[in-house]
Amino acid sequence: MRYYVKKIISLIMVLFLIMLLTFIAFQVIPGDGAVTRLGVDATPEAIEALRESLGLNRSLPARFFSFLGGAVRGDFGMSYHYSKPVGELLAARLPATIGLAALAILLIVAVSVPLGLLCSRREKGVIDRTITMVTQTLMAVPAFFLGIIITLIFGRILRWFSPGGYVSPGEDFFGYLSYMLFPAISVAIPKIAMTVKFLKTSVLRELKLDYVRTARSKGNTERAILWGHVLKNALIPVITFMGMVVADVLAGSIVVEQVFNLPGVGRLLITAISNRDYPVVEAVVVYIASVVLIVNFIVDLLYQKVDPRVRIE
Amino acid sequence: MENSGHLLELSGVAVGFPEKGRGVKLVTQGVSLYVDPGEAVGIVGESGSGKSVSMLASVGLLSGGGRIVEGSVRFLHGEEYIELNTLGQKELNEVRGDEISMIFQEPMTSLNPVMTVGRQVCEMLVLHTDCAGEERRGRVLDMFKEAGLSDVEALYEKYPHQLSGGMRQRVMIAMAMILRPKLLIADEPTTALDVTVQAKILKLLKKFQTEYGTAILLISHDLGVIRSVCSRAAVMCGGRIVEQGDVENLFEHPQEDYTKKLLSAALGKENVLREAGVKSSGEVSVRVEDYSVFYEEKAKRNERGKNRIKDVPEGKSRLSALSALLNGKTRREVVKHVSFELYAGEIVGIVGESGCGKSTLAKALAGLNPLTEGKAWISCSQPQMVFQDPYGSLNPAKTIGWLLTEPLRLHRIGTRQEQYRAVCEMLDKVGLGEKYYGRYPGTLSGGQRQRVAIAMAIMLRRSFIVLDEPVSALDVTVQEQILVLLVKLQKEFGLTYLFISHDMNVIHRICDRVFVMYGGEIVESGEASQVFLNPKHPYTKKLLSARL
Repeated sequence: MRYYVKKIISLIMVLFLIMLLTFIAFQVIPGDGAVTRLGVDATPEAIEALRESLGLNRSLPARFFSFLGGAVRGDFGMSYHYSKPVGELLAARLPATIGLAALAILLIVAVSVPLGLLCSRREKGVIDRTITMVTQTLMAVPAFFLGIIITLIFGRILRWFSPGGYVSPGEDFFGYLSYMLFPAISVAIPKIAMTVKFLKTSVLRELKLDYVRTARSKGNTERAILWGHVLKNALIPVITFMGMVVADVLAGSIVVEQVFNLPGVGRLLITAISNRDYPVVEAVVVYIASVVLIVNFIVDLLYQKVDPRVRIE
Repeated sequence: MENSGHLLELSGVAVGFPEKGRGVKLVTQGVSLYVDPGEAVGIVGESGSGKSVSMLASVGLLSGGGRIVEGSVRFLHGEEYIELNTLGQKELNEVRGDEISMIFQEPMTSLNPVMTVGRQVCEMLVLHTDCAGEERRGRVLDMFKEAGLSDVEALYEKYPHQLSGGMRQRVMIAMAMILRPKLLIADEPTTALDVTVQAKILKLLKKFQTEYGTAILLISHDLGVIRSVCSRAAVMCGGRIVEQGDVENLFEHPQEDYTKKLLSAALGKENVLREAGVKSSGEVSVRVEDYSVFYEEKAKRNERGKNRIKDVPEGKSRLSALSALLNGKTRREVVKHVSFELYAGEIVGIVGESGCGKSTLAKALAGLNPLTEGKAWISCSQPQMVFQDPYGSLNPAKTIGWLLTEPLRLHRIGTRQEQYRAVCEMLDKVGLGEKYYGRYPGTLSGGQRQRVAIAMAIMLRRSFIVLDEPVSALDVTVQEQILVLLVKLQKEFGLTYLFISHDMNVIHRICDRVFVMYGGEIVESGEASQVFLNPKHPYTKKLLSARL
């Protein structure tokens, strides 16, 4: 229990630091929010008035604490560009990003675990060599390029989906899924390739260990050894890796969202940066940081669940 | 085929491993051997002799593509013999565990680290019987009790890393015996254990042999272990059985040269390497007074607050002790107030089980653990140390020459040419020669590596050398050579050794004096011959009686 309390306290401290850094970063970069919104031709009076209403004329610490206070309540202020509350904007974009991430992660786990095990069982065989070759190639292909290829083949030639379309899950859940599937595939493929390779190496390393021989001497079938004894051990290093993948995917597959024209957090970030919409950028950075931290926390918990040797009593 | 009544019959077994290209490399040849029901048979030999390989191949457990390429392995299955070598995977899985079970050398790595030991034993019942959940658990708990384990309910839920080496091996035995197999193959079951635990494990095996009528095939490099359990034995060397027969006969009247050599190396209890009463100059080389050594560890919750500031002893280590307390760590006193003197030119042994503090004491004296109290005065600076594992303690990426030159380089002794000459000379002295200068540790055998480690320790000509289990990882005949080398070097350079070992025989053979350590204290000390002939302390007596 103590351990978790400690862990959560440090989590909050890191989040605080990130917010501080983000805030400072946006003070340091040149360009004034008010000028950006009104354009360089605006009268000094108008700019001053806007600065007043945005609270930009207050002292730095005062602005930081009002930013912090707002962030804790989920209020990141108003978007300069959309003139809407940032929280609302973010909430509207989350379903696409989270759906994309969840589907991609599901695909990654569902495909890479069986493939990794298959490869290690048929080490150096035809299947293994083929899979290794294909994954090796796919690993080198960036997700956006895959996205383009997939759009071309499945969207334009086969017409299995209409590129650029999107419905919110509330409206039509299955339609939403079908729009999510291909973007998720292009996010998942490079990660699947890496996970397969990682898992295979891990399984092969485990198979050489003594306890596998013991399991064989008990009369287990190879299949039972792999699923019953080896997999759990082999997953221990893979969990760390998967944690990074999950954080990466959740934090926004920015480019893929752009390619498929999905209204996700990634695209929101890109638009916000080009519009100098600082409240939105700040909010997205805090969102990404929180996601990475929380996923890491979950990975730590999972680790202890799987490996009794690191369990904290 | 005719029924000879044997339970297991190997005839003309040759085991081969695939080589690069298409060839097969034979590691054993013409191995013929039988085991009768209920009988205990031993296979003895050094590492690489093919003893484990031929047994593992018989039950199809060799890794790395090794398999039987010639000969047959027959096993009595009911009334009929089955040929294990050609048996299908499914049939083999039925025999494995149920009728033939195995235990292995390293009980830590042989158990699945992420599965409770209860489940691991239970798996045997799942695989080979129809009994249901509650009944299974009951049978496992009963078996734990029979294997001499206590507090079995709690044990069921424990993981291997929470148990001691002896307990893990008991769990392995419980697992192997729960289905009352006809044959138990035990591959070096006690090698990784302490002597006193060894004796208990062997006793347990014998108990199951008589109670369950299980035949035991015991593989060991230790003749004592074989002798205490088996009625018949085979001696293996270079992939062949060189001699086999009745154990007593084999050991009393060995016919083959190799057996004689093995016996003289292993049972050389009378064969003391140091002539009695080698008198040292009387000059003190090491003086240790009221010396304690500590380890810091993370405080366990229930122990927190036990060590209070007022318990922290006075002295120069008080500061570090305080900071340790503040960090929530506790200090454990591993070596407790020992005092002794070593004289120049002496070999002094420390014996005791693992955890008694002997290695901790040695490391502290060599300056590798700063958490000490009391006085330790050593006549030379930076005593050198030789470690147990010659595989782990030499940097695999450097040549032997580089490794041996390093101490000279660090202390800026001599020119490059002088350094080269000094290293070559040292290589000669340890019986390796100049040709090893450019070789890498990976290309050397365990014995050769230990020679390099010894050479490295002597390079700086420090008069005091600490040897921590220097021969424990080596085969008996190699052990012998290293001990002879150590004695020779001691005379030549007038060295003082502090020789740490758990092996009473080794200590007896090489040491002038001996300290027996137990629970961090020296419980007995004296001339080696006196202590061994006439042990005073009950723990020394126990250690000696556990010696096989």
